[in-house]
Amino acid sequence: MDLLIKILGALATVVLAFTVGMTYGGLTRKVIARIQNRIGPPWYQNFLDNLKLILKKEAVHHGFMQHVAPLWLIAMSITTLMFIPILKDGAWFTNFNFDGDLILLLYLMVIGSLGMALGAGQTGNPNSAIGVTRGLTQMVGFEIPWVMALVALMIQYETTSITGLMDAAEAQGTWLVFSSPFATIAAILAMPGMFRYSPFDIVGAPAELASGPVSEFGGKYLSTMMTSGAIFAFVKLTLYVDIFFGGASNLVELVVKTFILYMFPVLWGAVSPRFRTEQAVKFFWGWPVLFGIIGLIQASF
Amino acid sequence: MENKELVLENTLVQALQEGFTRLEATVKRKARVEAKIDKDILPSLLLFAKEKLGYNHLSHIGCVDWIEDGLFEIVYILWHPTEKINLLIKASTERENAIMPNIDYIWRQANTYEREMREMFGIEFPGLVGRKDFILEDWQDIPPMRRDFDTEKYVNEHFFNRPGREDAKDVREQVAKRSGEDIPEFAKKYSRK
Amino acid sequence: MINDKNSQGIVDIIAEYARKQSLFIMAYGTGCGAIEIPPTLTSRYDAERLGIRGAATPRQADVLLITGYLATKSLKRVIRVYEQMQAPKYVIGFGSCTINGGMYWDSYNTINLLDKYIPVDVYINGCMPRPEAVIAGFEKLKELIQSGNALGWKKYEDNLEEYRENQKKVIVNWQMPDYNW
Repeated sequence: MDLLIKILGALATVVLAFTVGMTYGGLTRKVIARIQNRIGPPWYQNFLDNLKLILKKEAVHHGFMQHVAPLWLIAMSITTLMFIPILKDGAWFTNFNFDGDLILLLYLMVIGSLGMALGAGQTGNPNSAIGVTRGLTQMVGFEIPWVMALVALMIQYETTSITGLMDAAEAQGTWLVFSSPFATIAAILAMPGMFRYSPFDIVGAPAELASGPVSEFGGKYLSTMMTSGAIFAFVKLTLYVDIFFGGASNLVELVVKTFILYMFPVLWGAVSPRFRTEQAVKFFWGWPVLFGIIGLIQASF
Repeated sequence: MENKELVLENTLVQALQEGFTRLEATVKRKARVEAKIDKDILPSLLLFAKEKLGYNHLSHIGCVDWIEDGLFEIVYILWHPTEKINLLIKASTERENAIMPNIDYIWRQANTYEREMREMFGIEFPGLVGRKDFILEDWQDIPPMRRDFDTEKYVNEHFFNRPGREDAKDVREQVAKRSGEDIPEFAKKYSRK
Repeated sequence: MINDKNSQGIVDIIAEYARKQSLFIMAYGTGCGAIEIPPTLTSRYDAERLGIRGAATPRQADVLLITGYLATKSLKRVIRVYEQMQAPKYVIGFGSCTINGGMYWDSYNTINLLDKYIPVDVYINGCMPRPEAVIAGFEKLKELIQSGNALGWKKYEDNLEEYRENQKKVIVNWQMPDYNW
């Protein structure tokens, strides 16, 4: 019985992450459309796109690895989701919150991209290969300030657990954004790289690389990757809110906090042209790394 | 500088005629001088115009199919950047087994024009670099820009026509029918059938 | 090939609704009509509010938009693009040139009837059609999809030999596989 509740809770978490992630995707398109003085698609447009893709009658793949890559991606997204505390307290959505820690998460968040790289490599499309190279380069860029920020927090609060960090925030009465501001700035500046919105959309540059790694994926494969992307966006946003913004005690608070946070890369992207790869890496290794170093110094004293 | 008397043009004609004996040069109008020359000495004339007279810009190479005379006429249009004069150099070659001297060592951009002329008119340029297929792919008929190539026949043989299509009518007849007037006698010979 | 409306189950209706509300277009822009696509998709006419957006590759696309005249040389590329798209897929012929050759009807280098080479679901006439006409064409395509009549891809599968014969009449040197997966 206990196991059944756990399984049902896990399923509910996945459904929640999928719904919220897809809705955010639709709302993002709406927001960008309003910025460009358009009406924009309805908020449920991404659900329709996903449904249409999964209902396609054909889906060509060029080999085992390409067949598996989207599954790999979605498995990784859901695994990561299981280790993230969705709500601060209460019995709902507690999957493996207390078992994992930040170091495990750092590894998990990279594995999906590696699987994607293998799958895209098998398609044989030159655009995919270029996209994968760019993606891994960009990851080298934003992982450094991101890891620096997390390590600073781990040193400062002497815990690697996410729930531990949330407890620390509750104990001191303020969110971590106020007690360790430099680490927060470094992490937030690394965020657009993770979400791959406009200045940092060098991976799937549509007009330049023909959507990069996903250029040979269609039908159900693209649908799976879209689903995985939505879940993973929710995972990242929830992680940021949990660590830096004190978590959320109910779903409404969570949605409000994550949406406000999400608007940072989206709005930046709506008014920015695309960086080149070396410009992106240069950006991440500039101010974000500097703030990360200051955060580390602050944490050590 | 005022150039009402066509001073620059006349000087150019004089310079050309001094350099080459078998050459007819005329001033067509302001800023346009035409020179006709034998195709064998064409490269030396082009070099002369480029190096000595300062016509260092090749604007265009055109080809005219004079099917009645059995000739292709190639027109090289040169441009003088400071004197602002177009120099048209014309040379002819016979239509059968047409061969023209290759001049892409004088202007590199001539290569593109020559490849196009080789494909569209069937003129050979000995020593021309570049693959045989340039714009047309797998072409098996006679070169399509020649005037003896029947486009309509080719289209009817190779492509489909929408049934019931009633356009491609003769414009003169349609206008005459609409306005209720007769076609004038002199215009009848231009009508389509 | 008229489908009986009553034979559509509830799943079909939902599926067709999703298909018609989400059209990823692959604009094949070698003809002059390519210039009408940017205003259709961007702020002025905003096709995204109708669920129409551009796709980067044929694998992800639903609609192939042939904008304007089609040279014999680019027909080969169009066939490859069309066959790489994933069914259900639709083709919109755009401008007079795809319908009957338009002003290039007697050119040695452009095909006249697009639907002899690939199946066309909707034609938009005009030279060039304005973005309003393009959007009207998309609305027509949506009607056809919802009623289950946009079956060009099925027609292509059924009559592949016939289409191949017509295609090989134009593409003399056929250096492609039999079907371009």
